[in-house]
Amino acid sequence: MGKKILIVDDDPDVRLFSQAVLEENGYTPVVAKNGEEGEALIRQEAPDMILLDVLMPRESGIRLYRNMKTHKKYKNIPIIILSGIAEKSFLRSQKVLTEFGGDPVPDPEAYLEKPVDGEELANTIKKILG
Amino acid sequence: MNNKTNKKPVLQKMMFVTQFEKLGFGALQSLLVLRGAGLEHVILMNVIERDRVAMHRGLGYDKDEERRLKEQANIRFIDWAESLFEKGLEVGDYIVVGNVVSQTLEAVAEENADLIVIGQRKRKMVEFFYSGDDIIELLRRSPRPVLIYKELDSNSCTDACLADNPFCRTLLAMDWSPASLLAVEYLKTMKNVVQDISLIHVASPKELKGTSSLDIQKLRKEKRGRLAKICDELEAEGINCRPHLYVGEPVAEILRAAQEFNASMIVMGSSGTSVWHERWIGSTPRTIVEKSPYPALIIPQAKEDSDQIQ
Repeated sequence: MGKKILIVDDDPDVRLFSQAVLEENGYTPVVAKNGEEGEALIRQEAPDMILLDVLMPRESGIRLYRNMKTHKKYKNIPIIILSGIAEKSFLRSQKVLTEFGGDPVPDPEAYLEKPVDGEELANTIKKILG
Repeated sequence: MNNKTNKKPVLQKMMFVTQFEKLGFGALQSLLVLRGAGLEHVILMNVIERDRVAMHRGLGYDKDEERRLKEQANIRFIDWAESLFEKGLEVGDYIVVGNVVSQTLEAVAEENADLIVIGQRKRKMVEFFYSGDDIIELLRRSPRPVLIYKELDSNSCTDACLADNPFCRTLLAMDWSPASLLAVEYLKTMKNVVQDISLIHVASPKELKGTSSLDIQKLRKEKRGRLAKICDELEAEGINCRPHLYVGEPVAEILRAAQEFNASMIVMGSSGTSVWHERWIGSTPRTIVEKSPYPALIIPQAKEDSDQIQ
């Protein structure tokens, strides 16, 4: 069984697409449709990587990212942000949240703006997971 | 974390229901003053009416049109969300097809949102509603406060306070119903946002008929006293409050008062003392929502109060 990768995205088309790319490249996808579900699956499945959307109902990727990167047990799971939200806005939001008194968080391992090309996604994952 | 079991009202999560042309980013930005009242999370919602994706002559559903409209909404929301994220807010979105009232209420339940904002504005001198009686239906069924956002005429926004903060000068209409008393509690949580409150009660002319001037003075004193007590509570929270007693038809007098005090918003309970939640909305809030040029925040009765009345 290949390395387990969690896809967190509210868009069913993106979930299907990412799932297909992962399977084609020998990974095992696990899917969640919002940040809340994603957090539960991280605890349950302990994935090797997370593909994370930012703008989602219930809990956004901003919050989930922060929760993971400040969590003792999960902070080393690599996260690729896959979003329509500009990288600059994402990074600025994390900076503002830190200024509001949160713990500082590192930048994500990679940031891919939607729509993403299957090959680009696969190459980025390989580069990080080896 | 939201704590909705606590009886004290909270305002952490706002559901912003937009059709874009009626409620845009300018409105959303003006509502960010609610951060002073604890706002942390904004849910952007666009409901695409079924008619817009239905094909003619019963041919079914136009999936391509749905996709196009959803992507169009998504582009707007991404743009708005970037700006909100950069301010440190949590943002989520819903772009769905269906009936605006039921979809909104479903999302409110799923998100446990504290406030619904929906747009209504003047168009060529004619009040333009979200879609027929949708707003009234939403008020009737919503378990959460609903803010009917209307852009005030530029003539009304003569000072910076009104231009920057729609809650700055609030007119609170009081009939001592459970919902209007809950509105007082709600405004207390907004003490960092609301600057001045004009607290108004409209007495019925019937109450004055056939009584001596002494009786009328007694009535005035009694009602003013009750209003003053509420003002004292609000002032203890640091909000300026002045009580006012009017006599006449409630809607006309509330609108007159709003104009006289240069109000930025009208706040009121959703129902009178003898009606219950989820079945009825009082005729006064209904007419205020339909006719007034002012934004209106309508506070529903708490569930336990409505159960008692039933």
